[in-house]
Amino acid sequence: MLTIRSLLRPSRIVDAHCDIPCGIYDPEQARIEAESCLRIIEKHDASEDKLFRARCIHVKEERAELVKHHLDVLWHDYFKPEHLEKYPDLHETFWKASKQASKVKQSLDVAAAKDLLAMIDTIDGMWKATGGPEKTRVSGRPS
Amino acid sequence: MARRRVLGGPFFLMLGMAAGISVGRRWLDVVEVRGGSMAPSLLPGDRLLVESHTYQGRQPRPGEVVLAADPREPERELIKRVASVDSTAAAAELRGDAPAASTDSREFGAVPLSEIHWRAVFRYWPPQRAGRLAELD
Repeated sequence: MLTIRSLLRPSRIVDAHCDIPCGIYDPEQARIEAESCLRIIEKHDASEDKLFRARCIHVKEERAELVKHHLDVLWHDYFKPEHLEKYPDLHETFWKASKQASKVKQSLDVAAAKDLLAMIDTIDGMWKATGGPEKTRVSGRPS
Repeated sequence: MARRRVLGGPFFLMLGMAAGISVGRRWLDVVEVRGGSMAPSLLPGDRLLVESHTYQGRQPRPGEVVLAADPREPERELIKRVASVDSTAAAAELRGDAPAASTDSREFGAVPLSEIHWRAVFRYWPPQRAGRLAELD
């Protein structure tokens, strides 16, 4: 005998699915690493210590790689086709910023590091204009 | 928009559900929601009545909550809302009600109408949020 209870037991699970449930994104993450690159280049240039200069280069390359990683995550996971409609140059912007991060990784050029910051700020503008701060950060951080 | 009242009270609705489901789970079925991409309309653990009769007669309409296999992983059955329907292409754009926490047609593209059979119509669990599912634009 079938009971009401057994009939109301779900036959299957349906997924209100999200690939990345956390959904937290902020270009700030890339910017902080890019700022590190800039400051490390300045410290490198100001030092005579060979060992310190070698460490600077090593750490800067790591940080520049992180910039590329954070840019990739934003590009692939945060930005959606509807954003591309709003910003047709979105792919171009990310491509150039990633290339710029490579340039910073390879060189000790202060100007290149500053250009990278400016490019990240352009992406930051897109993120903000598409509601990023409200949708992809947790509110309540003390100012 | 005119609302069709199918049955009088919750009791008759439950009885109708039970009768319908006992006939077979081909037209009427009950499912449980997992994941949060339909929040705040649907929350994880919500239990819904779904029916497959309507779409034998007509196309899904924007605003309706539907089930569809994930085009990237067909064994996963998704629940999303119809954002728009392209009759020429015979496909529907699906969206989660929580766009920032949803993987949907923005990611995997429009879903063929031939893949959409089930419509979610009624939540029966939890009881305090039981009721007909609203069709949002």
